[in-house]
Amino acid sequence: MPLRLLKFALTKGHPAPRFFRACETPKKSYDVVIIGGGGHGLAAAYYLAKDHGITNVAVLERGYIGGGNTGRNTTIVRSNYLTPEGVNFYDASVKIYEGLSEELDLNLFYSTRGHFTLAHTESAMRTMRWRAEVNKHVGVDSRVVGPDEIAKACPQLDMSCSGKAPILGALYHSPGSVARHDGVAWGYARGADRHGVEIFQNTEVLGIDVQGGKVAGVKTNKGYIATTKVLSAVAGFTPRVTEMVGLETPIVIHPLQACVSEPVKPWLDTILVSGSLHVYLSQSSRGELVMGSSLDPYEVHSTRSSLDFVEGLTSHMLDMFPFLSNIKIVRQWGGMADMTPDFAPIMGKTPIEGFYLDAGWGTWGFKATPISGKTMAETIANDRAPDLIHSFRLSRFEDYELTGEKGAASVGH
Amino acid sequence: MKLLTCPVNGTRPLSEFIFGGEWRDAPDQNTCTDAQWAAYVHNRHGAPGDKKEWWYHSPSGTWFIAERNTLTDKVARTYLCGKQSVVQEESK
Amino acid sequence: MSMRMPKQTGEWVNRTKAIKFTFEGEEYSAFEGDTISSALWAAGQQVLGRSFKYHRPRGVLSFANHDVNVMLTDGQDTNMRGDVVEVQDGMQLQVVNTDGGVKKDRNSYIDSISPILPVGFYYKAFHTPRRLFPFWENIIRKAAGLGITNFNYPRILKRKRNDYCDVLVIGAGPSGLTAALVAAQAGLEVIVVDENRRAGGSLTYDRAGTEEARTQLEELLVKVANDGNISLRTGAYAAGYYADHLIPIVEAGGITKIRARSVIVASGAFEQPPVFRYNDLPGVMLGSAAQRMIYRYGVKPFNNGLVFTANDYGYRVALDLLDAGVKLVAVVDLRAEGKGAPLAAELAHRGVKIYAGYCVYEALATPKKFGVRGAVICSYDEKENVALTDNAITIECDGIAMCAGWAPAAALLYQAGTGMRYESAVQQFVPEKLPVGMFAAGKVNGIFDFEQRMFDGARAGADAIKYLGLEAPQVSVTQHSGVSPSHAYPVVPHPKGKNFVDFDEDIQVKDFVNAAQEGFDNIELMKRFTTVGMGPSQGKHSNMNAIRILARIRGLPVEKIGTTTSRPFFHPTPIGHLGGRGFHPHRFTALHGWHEDAGAVFVDVGAWTRAAYYSKPGLSKQDAVQEEAMAVRRNAGIIDSSSFGKIEVHGADAALFLERFFAGGFVSQQVGESRYALMIDDTGVLVDDGIASRLAPDLFYLSVGTSNAAAIYREMQRSQQQWQLDIALVNVTGAYGTINVAGPAAREIVSGLTSLDLSESAFPLGSIREAEVAGVPARVLRVGFVSEQTYEIHIPAASSQHVWNALLTAGKPHQLRPYGTEAQRLLRLEMGNHMPGVDTDGLTNPYEVGAEWAIKMDKPFFTGQRSLVIVAKRPLKKRLVAFMLGEGFKGEMPQECNLVIDSGEIGGRVTSISYSKSIGRVIGLAYVNPLKKSPGSEFQIRTDNGSLVSAVVTKTPFFKTQKGG
Repeated sequence: MPLRLLKFALTKGHPAPRFFRACETPKKSYDVVIIGGGGHGLAAAYYLAKDHGITNVAVLERGYIGGGNTGRNTTIVRSNYLTPEGVNFYDASVKIYEGLSEELDLNLFYSTRGHFTLAHTESAMRTMRWRAEVNKHVGVDSRVVGPDEIAKACPQLDMSCSGKAPILGALYHSPGSVARHDGVAWGYARGADRHGVEIFQNTEVLGIDVQGGKVAGVKTNKGYIATTKVLSAVAGFTPRVTEMVGLETPIVIHPLQACVSEPVKPWLDTILVSGSLHVYLSQSSRGELVMGSSLDPYEVHSTRSSLDFVEGLTSHMLDMFPFLSNIKIVRQWGGMADMTPDFAPIMGKTPIEGFYLDAGWGTWGFKATPISGKTMAETIANDRAPDLIHSFRLSRFEDYELTGEKGAASVGH
Repeated sequence: MKLLTCPVNGTRPLSEFIFGGEWRDAPDQNTCTDAQWAAYVHNRHGAPGDKKEWWYHSPSGTWFIAERNTLTDKVARTYLCGKQSVVQEESK
Repeated sequence: MSMRMPKQTGEWVNRTKAIKFTFEGEEYSAFEGDTISSALWAAGQQVLGRSFKYHRPRGVLSFANHDVNVMLTDGQDTNMRGDVVEVQDGMQLQVVNTDGGVKKDRNSYIDSISPILPVGFYYKAFHTPRRLFPFWENIIRKAAGLGITNFNYPRILKRKRNDYCDVLVIGAGPSGLTAALVAAQAGLEVIVVDENRRAGGSLTYDRAGTEEARTQLEELLVKVANDGNISLRTGAYAAGYYADHLIPIVEAGGITKIRARSVIVASGAFEQPPVFRYNDLPGVMLGSAAQRMIYRYGVKPFNNGLVFTANDYGYRVALDLLDAGVKLVAVVDLRAEGKGAPLAAELAHRGVKIYAGYCVYEALATPKKFGVRGAVICSYDEKENVALTDNAITIECDGIAMCAGWAPAAALLYQAGTGMRYESAVQQFVPEKLPVGMFAAGKVNGIFDFEQRMFDGARAGADAIKYLGLEAPQVSVTQHSGVSPSHAYPVVPHPKGKNFVDFDEDIQVKDFVNAAQEGFDNIELMKRFTTVGMGPSQGKHSNMNAIRILARIRGLPVEKIGTTTSRPFFHPTPIGHLGGRGFHPHRFTALHGWHEDAGAVFVDVGAWTRAAYYSKPGLSKQDAVQEEAMAVRRNAGIIDSSSFGKIEVHGADAALFLERFFAGGFVSQQVGESRYALMIDDTGVLVDDGIASRLAPDLFYLSVGTSNAAAIYREMQRSQQQWQLDIALVNVTGAYGTINVAGPAAREIVSGLTSLDLSESAFPLGSIREAEVAGVPARVLRVGFVSEQTYEIHIPAASSQHVWNALLTAGKPHQLRPYGTEAQRLLRLEMGNHMPGVDTDGLTNPYEVGAEWAIKMDKPFFTGQRSLVIVAKRPLKKRLVAFMLGEGFKGEMPQECNLVIDSGEIGGRVTSISYSKSIGRVIGLAYVNPLKKSPGSEFQIRTDNGSLVSAVVTKTPFFKTQKGG
């Protein structure tokens, strides 16, 4: 056992301090106000303070930190995207993740398991090769593998998928990982707090004060806060916030659902995704099978569960693993995914001066938490977006220069 | 699974329907600017609230308009495009 | 030592049928109807499981599936819940998650090192240095999980049913049954479900030593049985609530999805454990568990029992224990006023010593913590929440029944969006604002008095009747008054801890205190940090105490703390139940059987199954495909294209409709002419293409690719809804079979079967004719997709086989042979034709594939036009070109989706590539920098192994045709 746990046995009290202060009432003004205390908002606050020395920052969270999509996603981290811009961006995120437990001194259980995107059709195989080639070009370890290699990594998988969708091959991505999602939010919160950032929970933004095309302040249920820089990092709530500043974006909200099984002894070492069967799957460090599927088919601002989802998902689970008939689903839940037409995020500056957007994270936001925090902090500090996120700018839609990640993002979480 | 009322076929389970996205009024393509047109085709009114939406009843091939609240997921009424006067009030 | 009691009236076991089974290698006997736990307990076996984290011995806690102390495997099944799974003859049971058996679990040492495993310990260690994390992770991962998954478990798909009713009543206790009777008497169709094997709820076990409950139950059940409007389903739990009153009912045999017009939730309450040190020992159980054991299974919970109560219910339990022959050593009541409890006098009269204002400070364990040997009790200051240990006394006993109160089984109410409030009169959350059409009755509604629960059931039944538009009498219910059935804070502090709140996850009181100290002082954060309520029982026995403890820590009233979100499922639900049968529809063409007989290898294209190629003994797939393609180039080939989408556009505005829907021009199109139709979406992206043929001034016949046909038809319908033109759309995809005959001999083959003039001048490329082919009325198109000499014959689907056979016969002298989609793809590549979806992606614009010629920008309007105006102004980023590799190319063969490399950067990608035997070269299509689009330009392709291959841009078609090339 690591020695650092001994102090808990040897000390009378519990020798661990608060992760972050219990801030209740905001000050009259801040240099930067971040709306959204999820992983993205907290990471941006952390890097604003750490990389840019901007510490007079308030993070406003409507509920509790990490309670939105940070705490609802299935925690897969990977960079095997389709466009070079996407691959570069997510690869930078993976690189930060790899050292993040040490940096934040919090065990995020960042566990590199390898990630297989299964292909059941020739056209899926083509897309796998496309992704593999782009990944290789950028220096990311992805390659097309055959059924033998998949069977070796996951001998329990029925390679014929019960005869319904035989597996022809897969895109194998060795850096594919899972992490403890809550820990990411808490670690960034603690890091930001130690640098002086103030985090306010149960603090709802009611409006944004824009004067002459510039941000002047934020109205909250705890009063008015003057500021010239506001970052919106609210995922499924993005349209509500952009509406406050009169900004229209392509974002629509679709629920994304997931479920977990009862804990069983670990047997699934890899992360599996099947686009054709709409399944992604890993086994958590508690032993639960963590499963997700494709987006709900219509727009709704709700985290409600549907029976269709779990019926569809489990029937495809059985195609892949016929022996799971009597393994039980404990819980299903949902999150609100802020979807963009090209399945790439919307990041950077907006036509409103001082209003920065970190949105469009759809079903793929968790894996980008560190790099989105870092690049948005840089954008705010310099009032200029770094090249790494140029392709994700809001104006790409007006420019008809979409960043087509659909082939890599759908059911690919 | 929710239920939805097709103006032609009555109340059916949602699995029979396909969501067709938000109804958007197109600007005049001959007079609008490029930016206005780009906004029309790409942007959506994404904030929650009452929306006019396209829905398709798949078995019968019927497109219609539903007025739905995207926060509560309650449908106020459905009707065929251009026939607002012939309305199916959402039943209980 | 046998704990089996004499036969109890109304018991659930059949004593005439004995059963044998083994548990941890030892043989036991039981009666039919025993659960695994009741059988073992009857045999004196109390150590029935090990806890998840500390591996502490565990026995029966709730005996109602509200905890997972007893989790077993029979070698087949993974996580069987011993409290509710009926034991079967011959079962061989093992406890899950032990190392060496439940009695000798080698992991029990973890309990003694628990001080170095504080709450959230795994966040605090193992991550530095980074390189060692995989080592620690491996150890932690081994400790994770409960049962072992059986990879040989059969694939069992349970049946699914749909059902409908006016009123669905959840819970067949006194309030639920009364509600059902009232609703049924009004003529409503009622379904009552209950998770227990038998109906009756608390009436099946809560007797307080009298026969009253049993007779009341019998009366109710007779009425229910005699009411034709009630369908009573036991062994059936309501798994969750979904929108519009859709509730899946799970039974052993499968799921019934019930769509109810109204729902009455009468699901009762979960008994909650008081929290004290060692409250988890085998032999410490909830009062209701002891009652269930006695009356349902005829098993004595213990011999010398102690009741620790914080409400009046404990006195009922005490009477039941006495009734069962248990020697009661004491009733310990946390409340100073406990002596005033109505049944206290009776107990005192029967010689039971009552300690009011006392707590059980700790339970004392027998060696190895296998059972209870006594309890330390002392006075308790309720107000200050302090155990006054100065004059603590030790009482010997072998078991403790615990009664502290209840938590509503309100999962479905929460899921339906019910607003709940904390009612201090009952120290419980109760419904405040129910969703439309939902009602609550009984304990879940905060009503505990037996008579009032019946009234509340009647009231809920009446409410449902009124909601459904019928008349019903007013029923008044008296809200609870007097002593609360639940104690406000049944938590006894102990400096040494091990006073458990969550038995699934081994969470003690100090874990909450420490979590709050670390800042996790919000109920959701606390849940996530401590994992309270996250185990398989989802907080049924722990969430309420967790809320109380957090409220106390923060100095807030309980209602300010709130609750965590309730989610399906009420009980964990098997994947085989939920999945049910998979539905994977496939469409076969009318010629499918012929293809099978001819050795076709099939491929799925959209929903359709098509012949990819025809396998031949001794020929590789590659060679078989080349042979099929060569046949088309040299003589003739025939392909079944019946899966093509076929849509008729009828009406005066038919041409106008196409003119608006597609990019090209159609108004000027002559009858008998076919034109290429390019579909662009609103944003200027190329979606698909097809052939539009004019059969009459007011009739176009459209054929489009297989996979996208349904979507295109749907979009055509939508456009028509908007435009309201004078047309009608008919999807005739399934009505027509389609056969293509292609190659130099095609004309001669077809001409023998039709009176149609097939001469080049009478029937040129790009035309359609209606005529009989092989005696069948047909639409014949001259198309040029795979060869300039192609006749595409559309006939009624039922005649497909006849025409196919006739063509084969006519083609015999010309070596006509069938070809599949693989050869088709090669042939169209030789022609230089791109395929949407293969050579385009979701963002490709038509200029990128050089389709300017198919776009008529000077029309007043077509879908995508305005966006194309914008796109056309922007510099082209990539361009699809046809290319060839060098003659006799022998290197690493490039694959589709290999990248085009331009000065070290990605310049594009190969979208189609194949060796063409007829051309003798490797040919393909690729996106390149538009500067390199002219024929003769050279570019580099990077292959899978990293080598660069040179390719040269080539004019198409790749081979010489009549029109040149």
